[in-house]
Parts: sequence; structure tokens; C-alpha cells
Amino acid sequence: MFSDMPRGTDEVSEPMYFVLTALLDGPLHGHAIMKVVTGLSGGRVKPSVGTLYGILERLSDRGVIVVDREEVVNGRGRRYFRISDTGRALLEAEARRMMEAASLVMNRKFA
Amino acid sequence: MTRLERRYRAMLRFYPAGYRDAHGDELLDVLLETAEPGRTLPAARECAGLVAGGVQARVRANTRTNPWWDGLHLGLTAIMVAQAAAFLPYTGSVPIWTALSLAALLAVLRGHHLIALPLVALTGVKAFTISDGQQFFELTLLPVYPDLLTDQPLFRSTTPFAVSATYVLVAVGLIALASRRAGHVRSGWWLALVPALAWMGPEWMDRDLGYPLSLSRLILEAALLGAGVWAGYLARDPRWALGGALYLVAVSTEMAQHLSDLTGQHLGYWGLLGFMTFAAAAVPYRQRRHALD
Repeated sequence: MFSDMPRGTDEVSEPMYFVLTALLDGPLHGHAIMKVVTGLSGGRVKPSVGTLYGILERLSDRGVIVVDREEVVNGRGRRYFRISDTGRALLEAEARRMMEAASLVMNRKFA
Repeated sequence: MTRLERRYRAMLRFYPAGYRDAHGDELLDVLLETAEPGRTLPAARECAGLVAGGVQARVRANTRTNPWWDGLHLGLTAIMVAQAAAFLPYTGSVPIWTALSLAALLAVLRGHHLIALPLVALTGVKAFTISDGQQFFELTLLPVYPDLLTDQPLFRSTTPFAVSATYVLVAVGLIALASRRAGHVRSGWWLALVPALAWMGPEWMDRDLGYPLSLSRLILEAALLGAGVWAGYLARDPRWALGGALYLVAVSTEMAQHLSDLTGQHLGYWGLLGFMTFAAAAVPYRQRRHALD
């Protein structure tokens, strides 16, 4: 399924994880993604614009997100990104992996 | 246009022109929307992000073509820069051959391999005959002394075999590229490397050695190979390693002609180029830390 992916790992980096999570509720443009990522992470993950667009381009190249539509606002183009089925599956697998890893600690602590 | 917008627009020049045309305004929109009111200078972290993002976009833009053919084109370009650099300091004595050598390089940079091929063949024959003490096409007073950039006569420290071997390598590579009919285009900035490579540079080796190398050449080649290692790391792509390996073949052919004259400095230089080429070949296959790295 992920032809250009895991070789040695199936983990998703933290900024990418938050970007993909931000897109679960529907297509967003760059500025909105940045605001949602900052909110979801409690201000801990706050990528610069250059970094955010680097992530978006890479996710787009891998088919994990796709451009849903383009709009022109104040004379400037604006792309809305949408998570693909591949991206959703990847994100869910990562969430499951983290949940299982967390349960190793939490089950022991509260047993 | 505000001062901040003008400055962010300048920073966007780190991105390739195609990306800038397509998405520059979109990035600018987000940069201005996220800037604090009253700010006139770009934020340092945004500048760092734009530089890193721009360089990565440039690397990504260079990986759209077949890596092996593009790596071949890259290696031939680097060797042809060295060939043009060999003639440049002697332009006053051999202007036609400097011009032809630069024309061949320009043709390859623009992707016109069939045009470059006869130019490479002509300059190759002339280079071989000068290094062998013979004449070709026009009378050339030998040895050929420089006008600028170096104090060494033309091809003083090389052998006819090494000279002809690199020209044959380039010619064969050009035939292979021409057979594909796919034009590979590179930046005109490669031309700027010709005088830099021709410069004998600060005193580093004894100029009376059989095969003196310049410090400026070492720094330039190491910097280019370092950029290749970094690009290969970012893009997980072998084209820069292939280009570096071809250049290393040309350098090694030259070094092999002087095995008995090589000093520790020569071996250090050779080892450094070899190590960096190996690093460029290894980094694309490094272990992934994350699935989407």
C-alpha cells in the first residue's frame, strides 16, 4: 500500500502526525492547518511557514494528502488540502501503535 | 506593498522559480497573516524555515527526472567545467579553444548534447596534441604560458593519456545522452565555477611538484560534493553520487598518472573526494526514522 514507505519503521514524525490529524475534519488551507496544529498540540508544535509547506509538499508527493480545491482570496491563490484514504490508514495505524505503546505503561501503573 | 511583504518576497527567492510562480503568493499570504501587527522585519524562525524550505524545494525539483541519466549529465557537466577551466587562463594564447570549450559546456547546460559533441571532440584533439607537444589546426607556440589565474604552463602537470581519457569519457557520455533525446538542463551558474576552478589559489603545495593541486580547487570540489551529499540525504536520491563518482573517475585518472609523485597532501585530497563520493552514495539508502522521511 505504501510503496515508498516504511523501511525499518512505520512511525510518523510528530509534525506530520498533527498535520494529518488537523485534516481529519475536512479540507483546510495552510494558515488554518497551522492554527489547528498549534491548538491540538497545546502550542508545542508550531511549524514555521516554510517548514509547514515543506511538510505539505512531501505529504502531497507521497499521496497522503491531496489538493481538494484552490481559491483566490485577496488576489492570492490558496490551496485546500484533504487527507487521502492512504493518509487516513497511515494515521490510524500510527495512533493504534501509540495507543498500544501507551497502554504498556498505563496498564501497569493503574493495575 | 509593505516593507515586510517586500522582505518576505525577497526571502521567497530561495525557492525555485517554478514553485514561486505557482505558490509564492500562497506562502506570502500565510506569512503576512501570521506576522505580529507592526512588524517590519521578518521573524528569524520564519527566515530559517523559508531558507530550509526553499533549498528542499530546489532539491525536490531536481528529482523529477530519471536519476541515473541526470547523474550522468551532472558528472559530465562537472568534468566539462574542469576542461574549460584548464583552457581559461590561456585565453590570450588559445582563444578559439577556450571559446569552443565554454561553448561545449554551455550547450550541455542547455541540454544540446549533439551540438556539444563535435565541440568536445575538437577541443579534445587540441588538448591532446598540446599535452603531447604536437600541433593541430593552428600553430600554437609551446609551452603555452598563462595570462591569469595560474602560473603553470598549459597541461604542464598532466599527461596526454589523462587528458584524452577525460575527453573520451565525456564524448561517450554525450552520445549516450543524445541517444535518449531527453534534454537535461542545468543552471547557468555552472559557468561561474570555471574561473573558480582555474584559479591556482593560495599557496598550499610546492608549485615545483610534478602535479601541484590548488587549495581553492580542493575547497570548491569539497563544497560541491558536500552539497551533493546533503541533497542526496534530503531527497534519498543517487544522482549526486553518480555525478560525483564520474568526476572522481576523471580525477583518479589524473592522479594515477602521478603515483610516484604523490605526497600526503595529494592522498588526503584524493581520500577526501573518495570519502565524500562514498557518503553521497550511502546517504540515500540510510535507515528511515519515520515512514514519510
